[in-house]
Amino acid sequence: MKTNTCITLRLASILIGLTLLSGCDKEVESTEQYTQLQPVSQDANAGAWHMIVMTSADQVPVAAPADVNADPYKAELATLKDQQRHLTRSQREAIAYWSGGGVLRWNQILRQLVARYNLPPAPRSDGSYPAPDAENPFADPNFPFANPPYAARAYSYVSVAQYDALKAAWYYKALYKRPAPHQVDAEIESLMPDTGLPAYPSEDAVLSGVSAEMLKALFPAAVEEITLKAAEQRNAAVWSGRATTSDIAAGLALGKAVAALCMARAGTDGMRNAGGTKTDWKKFEDDCTVRGELPWFSRDLPARPPMLPLFGKVKAWNMTPEDLVKERPVAPPSTGSAEMKKDVDEVKWYADNLTRERIAIVHKWADGVGTYTPPGHWNDIGAEYIRDARFSEVRAARAFALLNMAMHDAAVGCWETKYFYFNPRPSQIDPRIKTATGVPNFPAFTSGHSTFSGAAESVLAYLFPNHAEYFNHEASEASLSRLYGGIHYRTDIDAGMNHGHTIGNYTIRYALTDGAD
Amino acid sequence: MKHLLLAVCLIVPLTRGVSQTLTDGLMMGRKALCTGFLYTHDQWRNYWEGDLKRDNENIGTVTTQSLMWMGTYGITDRLNIIGMLPYVKTRASQGTITGLDGIQDITLGAKYNFYRKDYARAVFKAFATGSYGRPITDYTFDLLPLSIGMGSQRVSGRLTLNYRMLAGFYVNGSAGYTWRSNVTLDRPAYYTGGQLYLTDEVRMPNLFDYMVSFGYVTRTIQGILSYSQQNTLGGADIRRQDMPFVSNRMNFSKVDALVMWYLPKSRNLALRASAGYTVAGRNVGQSTTWMGGVLYTFHFDKQSASTL
Repeated sequence: MKTNTCITLRLASILIGLTLLSGCDKEVESTEQYTQLQPVSQDANAGAWHMIVMTSADQVPVAAPADVNADPYKAELATLKDQQRHLTRSQREAIAYWSGGGVLRWNQILRQLVARYNLPPAPRSDGSYPAPDAENPFADPNFPFANPPYAARAYSYVSVAQYDALKAAWYYKALYKRPAPHQVDAEIESLMPDTGLPAYPSEDAVLSGVSAEMLKALFPAAVEEITLKAAEQRNAAVWSGRATTSDIAAGLALGKAVAALCMARAGTDGMRNAGGTKTDWKKFEDDCTVRGELPWFSRDLPARPPMLPLFGKVKAWNMTPEDLVKERPVAPPSTGSAEMKKDVDEVKWYADNLTRERIAIVHKWADGVGTYTPPGHWNDIGAEYIRDARFSEVRAARAFALLNMAMHDAAVGCWETKYFYFNPRPSQIDPRIKTATGVPNFPAFTSGHSTFSGAAESVLAYLFPNHAEYFNHEASEASLSRLYGGIHYRTDIDAGMNHGHTIGNYTIRYALTDGAD
Repeated sequence: MKHLLLAVCLIVPLTRGVSQTLTDGLMMGRKALCTGFLYTHDQWRNYWEGDLKRDNENIGTVTTQSLMWMGTYGITDRLNIIGMLPYVKTRASQGTITGLDGIQDITLGAKYNFYRKDYARAVFKAFATGSYGRPITDYTFDLLPLSIGMGSQRVSGRLTLNYRMLAGFYVNGSAGYTWRSNVTLDRPAYYTGGQLYLTDEVRMPNLFDYMVSFGYVTRTIQGILSYSQQNTLGGADIRRQDMPFVSNRMNFSKVDALVMWYLPKSRNLALRASAGYTVAGRNVGQSTTWMGGVLYTFHFDKQSASTL
């Protein structure tokens, strides 16, 4: 019995040991950490850089601020000092969070919103699909369905609006030169890195206003989360000694006004008609049949209407409708041709010979349902380079605006091509082809991943030439992942990549003349 | 009583590769090895998307087949060790998504009978079980519901109580807690539980399970009815029309019926068959499971063949 007790104790101690071993910290840490952003340059002349949506830096008037020696301003300082004396832990955490850079933080928030709303509607029992309703965003299905074209456009509008709003802010900062509170009053601590920028209007408030208004329009069901984040950013700017309430009020108003200008453009850019009608869908099919080609058919069960078939008519940022037609890739091999059969056979070979290594590549780049989409993936990649470059807020906004304008144009160009040719997916031509990721619900030619990646790679290489080789490697891998996964022919990915490079160059040509280089 | 030595092979392979070790209250005798192969066929068409039960034409019916080697060895009459290793193959009947196959997780465990009390016509025993499991191949687990496993390392602790009447009836209760290690995806970011995670590392919630079974044993046949419940202690629901994710809150309640038949010619050879049905669940398929297998017992020490 004594021996038994001894063994029991030993067993118990082993179990306890295992418990301690496995009870160790399972917390998951983000690999995208933003600490204190200390820009290498103020970019003091950014008020003179070219505007994208706005007609001029002073299109939205911002009244001159009160003098720093005036009583109302002194009262603001007194309030600020009082707040700084009683900072709670969560307030300090908010300061630390937003010290990482407002543009970078909003980009993270945007990626999260895209992932959240990137869910296709579920079919009804009769096999039809309900459409998300912008007027009833909380219903099932939620509005929006943030699929790749929707997301590409959303990333671009938010980035462009932020960029224009910050250039306007920089213009007024240089005009009014009101110092930061901690420069006026030595008792006020500077709890964020000191950029040396004038405080009026507050860039943090501009960003909060422009970002929140854009995001609320694009993701209306997330209104609570967006509003709270925006308020936190403004509060953090005050608590950190970077801005007073009048700096904030002017910035918020400017940000909101710029967002309104950008939303006015968004309201007429063709997006509202991009879903098309049954008549449109039928016409794509008929036109394709008339050309003697096998038309695309949805691989979803039940068959789903094509994803945003008229997105190719949405207004691009740096390309005209004529440019889009001019740069459209030449036709893929005819669906009945020997060349096409060779293409299908290659896809079949990859589908039948999946290796662990290729599955990893397919899944690294899948960026399908419930993810931030391929444009989000390229924002993810770009964000760390933008952080490491220690750009000012306005230059960070420019980097994201260039990247996302190029990817929006890539979405427009690619969708225009996809629906022009209406080419079937490999698994439609050969149903034996099984895929390592979901088959996207739109025609095959050209590959969206390849077009996005080609455009993104070009712009990132322009911004960070020392890393061009890495961007190129990632883009090629993203592109090939679609062949490995069994959802694209080689023709799709090659043509898509070239098309992406071409489209990216339109944005680079714009960037070369915008006054920022 | 030799046939009772085989009874230790009562292991209920749970769905999704969470191999549960030694939930029963029976032991191999000293220097006896029970080993063999079990084939399992698990199939579902309906699944629970969170609380919502539905089907999905893009996958149709998902079938998971597995062939598992298992072995139990009696170090002493009161201490057994056990090992299991399954090969798993999945397939969807509709849609385009590929099935996967491969060798899944190895599980090694030890069961110790730390308490025994004899009554006039019955015996009560208590067991402590510890086990460790881990993938032995780099299989793809981020393609649910067609992944062959969850990719996590696991450490389990379990308490089993068994009350057996000499007439042949017994009742068995078992409860276990499983710690799971984090897993690393092939992708740099994922969304779950309302949040975008900018990392490839996923926190895997731990598991709690229990089962109750009623059994009857004669010299040639054994029958068992059991009810089991597994809960994932955390994790998010599958969202509407989303894909399942490796750290989802996967819960299920299952009933199983098992028959084991000892061949008259050789009491060391046993055939085993079972059927199971998932009666309720969350973020799992409503599976029907059929299992069949052959087990053989080797006695390396004739003296100690019967201990029960």
